[in-house]
Amino acid sequence: MNDFVLGHYNYWMFIGLMMIGFYAMMAKKNLIKKIIGMNIFQSAIILFYISTSAKRGGVSVPILEHAAGGHGSHGVDVAHYANPLPHVLMLTAIVVMVATLGVAVAVTLLIYKRYKTIEEDEILMKIKEGSSAPKELVDVRSQKDSIKLRTNIEYRTRNVEL
Amino acid sequence: MFLQHPVLIVIIPLIAAVITPVLGLWKKVLCYYWVVFVLALTTLASIDTLFAVLRDGTIHYQLGGWPAPFGIELVIDHLNGMMLVLITGISFLVSIYSYRTVESELPGKIDFFYSIFLLQVTGFLGIVITGDLFNLYVFLEIAALAGYALIAIGEDGAPWACFRYIVMGTIGASFYLLGVGYIYISTGSLNMADVHILLQDLQGSKVMTAAVAFIITGLAVKMALFPLHLWLPDAYTKAPSASSALIAPLMTKISLYVMIRILFGVFGTSWSIGMIPLTEILAWAGVIAIFGGAIMALAQTDFKRLLCYVVVAEVGYIVGGMGLANEPGMKGAILHILNDAVMTVGLFTVAGIIMHRAKSHKLSDLKDLFPKMPLTMTALVIIGLSIIGVPPTCGFFSKWYLIQGAVQAGQWAFVVALLFSSLVSVILFFRIFEIGYGFKSEDHAHSHDSGSATAIQEAPLSMLLPTMAIAIAILIIGFYNQTIVSNLINLAVPKL
Amino acid sequence: MKIFSLISAVVVGVALIYGTMDMPEWGDPNSPASTHVSPYYLEHSIEHAATPNVVTTVLADYRGYDTLGETTVIFTAGIAVVLLLRKRRKTGGEDDE
Repeated sequence: MNDFVLGHYNYWMFIGLMMIGFYAMMAKKNLIKKIIGMNIFQSAIILFYISTSAKRGGVSVPILEHAAGGHGSHGVDVAHYANPLPHVLMLTAIVVMVATLGVAVAVTLLIYKRYKTIEEDEILMKIKEGSSAPKELVDVRSQKDSIKLRTNIEYRTRNVEL
Repeated sequence: MFLQHPVLIVIIPLIAAVITPVLGLWKKVLCYYWVVFVLALTTLASIDTLFAVLRDGTIHYQLGGWPAPFGIELVIDHLNGMMLVLITGISFLVSIYSYRTVESELPGKIDFFYSIFLLQVTGFLGIVITGDLFNLYVFLEIAALAGYALIAIGEDGAPWACFRYIVMGTIGASFYLLGVGYIYISTGSLNMADVHILLQDLQGSKVMTAAVAFIITGLAVKMALFPLHLWLPDAYTKAPSASSALIAPLMTKISLYVMIRILFGVFGTSWSIGMIPLTEILAWAGVIAIFGGAIMALAQTDFKRLLCYVVVAEVGYIVGGMGLANEPGMKGAILHILNDAVMTVGLFTVAGIIMHRAKSHKLSDLKDLFPKMPLTMTALVIIGLSIIGVPPTCGFFSKWYLIQGAVQAGQWAFVVALLFSSLVSVILFFRIFEIGYGFKSEDHAHSHDSGSATAIQEAPLSMLLPTMAIAIAILIIGFYNQTIVSNLINLAVPKL
Repeated sequence: MKIFSLISAVVVGVALIYGTMDMPEWGDPNSPASTHVSPYYLEHSIEHAATPNVVTTVLADYRGYDTLGETTVIFTAGIAVVLLLRKRRKTGGEDDE
C-alpha cells in the first residue's frame, strides 16, 4: 500500500492541480479568472507529462556526457539519463499554451472595449438589455450603469477582504 | 506525377499564409487572387494524392526519412484522401466566394484575414493527414487558434461568443492531450499504427479505459455533440459570413474523422465494441443529438442560428452511425461526412449572400427575397431537399444507408430519430420558403415591380458561382453515389 | 453553476485517478515509456546528429515537423492578435497594438 502511494502520488498531485484549474475555468465569473484557471489547467497537464520522464536512482538530464563523435550506441547507458521525449512534447505544449493565453486576453480586451466590464453576469445582462438598442445608446447607458456597477464591485471586494 | 509528395498539401498553404501579409502591403486585392491560386494548387495536389491512393493503396510518408515510431509519419488511406479533397475543395470554393463579404464586413483587414484563412486551412489539412497522436494535437491547436481569430472579428457580440468558444475548445483539446498522455505512459509510443499493435496486449487496463474516455470527451466538445454544443450557435451565428462558411462545415466533420480514426484505427474494433459498450453510448448520444438539434432548430427566429442547430443535428447522424458498428452504418456515417460538409457549406454560403444583400440574417427579414434572387434560392431549394433527404440529392443516400444499418442493428430509436429529423427539416425549409416567397403577405402582386425600389438584387457573380457549384455538386454526388461508395467509401470503412 | 462545476471537477478528477491505478510507478526505469522509443534517441543522437543534447536532436531532427507546427502556432497567434486589435482610423482614434 505504501509503495503504491509512493509510486503514484505524483500523478495524484498534478490531477488535483488540474481540477483546481478546471473548477476555476468553469465556476468563476470574472473573465481574467477564467483565463488564469485555463492556464493552471494546462500547466498542470504539462507538469504531469514531465513527471513521467524522471527515473529513480539519481539520473541526470538527457545531455550525453561523452561527446566524442561517431561511436554511437557503445558508450551510452540509457538508465543514467532521463527520458527526453516528454520534455520535447511539453516544449511544444508550453508554446501552444502561451499562444492560446495571448489570443484569449486579446478577445477579453475586445469584450471590455465593447461592454466596459469583464464580469460574466454583467455582460449577459447587457447583452439581454442592449440587444435591440443601437450601439451608441448602449454606450451612454453603460456609462450610467458603470457608476452603479463600480459600487457593486466595491461591495464585492469588501466582502472578500472580510 | 510531381505533385505526389503528401507534405506539400500542408506546406503550400502554410508558406502562402506567411507571404500573404507581405502581398497585402502592396495591393490588398492581390491577397484575394493569391489565396484563390494557392487553394487551387492545393486542391489539385490533394486530388492527385487521392488518385494515387486509389491506384496504389495507403501512402506512408516519413518526414525527414526517420523510420516510423521514431519520427513522425503521414499516413494517407482512403478515408484520409476523401477528407483531404473535401477540405481543399470546400476552402477553394469559399475563398472564391469570400471577397465581397470580406470587403463589406471587414474593411481594412483583408490581408490579415486571408492569412488567417490560409492558416485555418493548414490546420485542418494537418489534422487529417497525420499519423502521429501528438502531431494531431499541434495542428488541432493551429486550427483552433485560427478559428478563434476568424470568429471574434464578426458582428456585435462576436467576441463574447468567441470567449465561450475559447474556454470550451481549450477544455476539449486539453482532454485530448491528457488522453494521449495516458496512452504514452502505458505504451511508450505516439505513432498511431504502433500504438494499435501495442494495445492488443493491454486489453482491459484502467489506463486505456480512462484514455479512450478522455479522448472521446475532448473530441465531443470540439464536434459539438449535444450537451456540449453550447458554444456553437453563438459562435457561428455572429462570425463573419466567409468565416462561418469555412469553419462550420469543416471543424465538426474533422473532429468526427479524428474520432473514427482513434476509435477504430488506434484502439481497434475488439476494444471499442467488445470491451466497453462504447458503441451503445455513441448510438444513444446520436439519438439525443438529433432530437435536441431538431427541436431547438424549430424554435429559432434567426436564419443563421437555425442553420447552426441543423449542424448539431447532422453531427448526431454521424455519431449515431458510428455507434451502430455494422457495415451499412459506417458506410452511411462516412458518406454522410462527405454529404453534410457539402450541404452545410451550401447553407452558409446562401446565408452569407442574404446577409450581403439584405444586411440581416433574421428570418423575418427574408420576406419577399425569393423572387429577387432566383438563382440563389434555387440553390437553397436543392440544398434544403438534400437535408430533408429527397432523392436524387446526396442526402437521401446517406440517410438510406444509416436507416439500413439501424434496422440491421436493431436500434429502432435511431430510425425514429432519423425520420423525425427529416420531418422537422421539411417544416423548417417550408417555413423559410413560405417567408421568402411572401405567401402570407397581401401585396404579393406588388413584389414584381418593386424590384427597383429596394437595393436587393441577385448576388454578385463571385458569390453566386460557388453557391451554384455547390448545388450542382450535391446533385452530382447524388447521381454518382454508387461509384463513390463502391470505389472509395467501401475501402474507407474500418474493418469491423 | 458553482455546484455543477464542483461536481463535474470532482467527477473528472476521480476518472483521472481511476486511470492512474494501473500506471507504472513513478521513476520506474523499466516502464514502457522509458524502454520503447527513448533508448533509440539516446543511443543514436551523436551518431545521427553529432549533438550531445538529446532534447535538441529530438526537437529538430526526429520530430522536426512538430517544431514546424509550434512555430506556426506562434505565427497564427501573432496574426490573430493583430487582426483582433489593430484599428485603422483616419481621425485620431485609439491605437491599440
